[in-house]
Amino acid sequence: MSDVNNAAPDDEMLAAEMVLGLASEQDTATGRKRMASDSEFSTKVVFWQERMTALTDEIEPVKPPARLKKKLFAQLFAKQRVSILQRVWLWQGVAMASLLFAGYLGVQLLKVTTHPDIPPPVLAAQLASDTSPLRVLAVLEPVKNEIALRRVAGDPIANRSFELWAILPGQAPVSLGVLPDSKTMRIPIPPLWRDQTAQMTLAISDEPVGGSPTGAPTGDILAVGAMANL
Amino acid sequence: MDRQEIEDLIARVALRDRAAFEQLYDRVSAKLFGVCLRVLNKRAAAEDAMQDTFVKIWNNADRYNSNGLSPMTWLITIARNTAIDRLRARKKGHQNLDSPGFELVAPGPNPEQSAVAASEAARLSGCLDALEADRGQAIRGAYLDGETYADLAARFDVPLNTMRTWLRRGLIALRECMSL
Repeated sequence: MSDVNNAAPDDEMLAAEMVLGLASEQDTATGRKRMASDSEFSTKVVFWQERMTALTDEIEPVKPPARLKKKLFAQLFAKQRVSILQRVWLWQGVAMASLLFAGYLGVQLLKVTTHPDIPPPVLAAQLASDTSPLRVLAVLEPVKNEIALRRVAGDPIANRSFELWAILPGQAPVSLGVLPDSKTMRIPIPPLWRDQTAQMTLAISDEPVGGSPTGAPTGDILAVGAMANL
Repeated sequence: MDRQEIEDLIARVALRDRAAFEQLYDRVSAKLFGVCLRVLNKRAAAEDAMQDTFVKIWNNADRYNSNGLSPMTWLITIARNTAIDRLRARKKGHQNLDSPGFELVAPGPNPEQSAVAASEAARLSGCLDALEADRGQAIRGAYLDGETYADLAARFDVPLNTMRTWLRRGLIALRECMSL
């Protein structure tokens, strides 16, 4: 009989063979692609899937051992639990560091301010991202018109430079310069920007040694944070 | 098993609701473990397959809505395919069955029609029994034991192409019987 072709199954057969796991690798790959766009075909696959699953109705449920559930939940959620803990720990660490740093700065500011009764507002930013370990605290020193930066996590990358960018709403990033490899550093704020620091977002990008050759960030943004009142 | 309840649990699992995942586990793990045991026939292997099955359920629950399957079919398919992958993994040239249950599927004309009542199982069983005995056995062997055309040809001692022709005729007859 030649009514059933051995080489190329029709849609009905392809659907059934896919469900049974009998279709060739190539047919299966083609069929899977078609399922996304061809609703007539996907309905056929669903038909066979539903009917064949009925074969499992005769299978009696068996209660799995309790340790299996423990193992599963440990595998699935242990990682996340650690990462949440780590995040809290990091957040606490960063908050503590920024508090100490701001406190230190505040003392310095008090020394130079002529009105010690009115504490000046302290603008600061925590620069971080999910994709890089780099974390940097930035505190604005209004008197000196400098941004004091402290790298609290992450290391310099060999043969690359970190470049600091200032971004004002609706404007392209402007380079504030390449950061030295030291843990703390001070970067002057350009005069034009001094009255807009409260709206400023700071970002650090990964650039070739010496900084971006184009004047705009060319590498990954490693850390970013908006200025806020401490 | 209440379809709506299982569906709601899967929807909540898709939102990373761990309590819902635990409830789903408590509701369906015995059935899925039964399926894994039936396919693999070894407790240790079935336990591993179960673990993998639930990891997949947790990671892919957001795909459930789009695939047009009833919730138990979706869950059982993941368990069955995972178990059969393990069974076949020992053989050379193994191809993964994994994803059919996870595919994003173009919605059919009426997804509700695909929901299969419990009586469907009896009907399928009847239709399989109505087939020539060998063909019914071959289809069961493929679905429940992960047998390939090559395995089936060896079991029934016929050439591969003959096996393929037989089984396809069986499937056509089955389709007709079930559509009546």
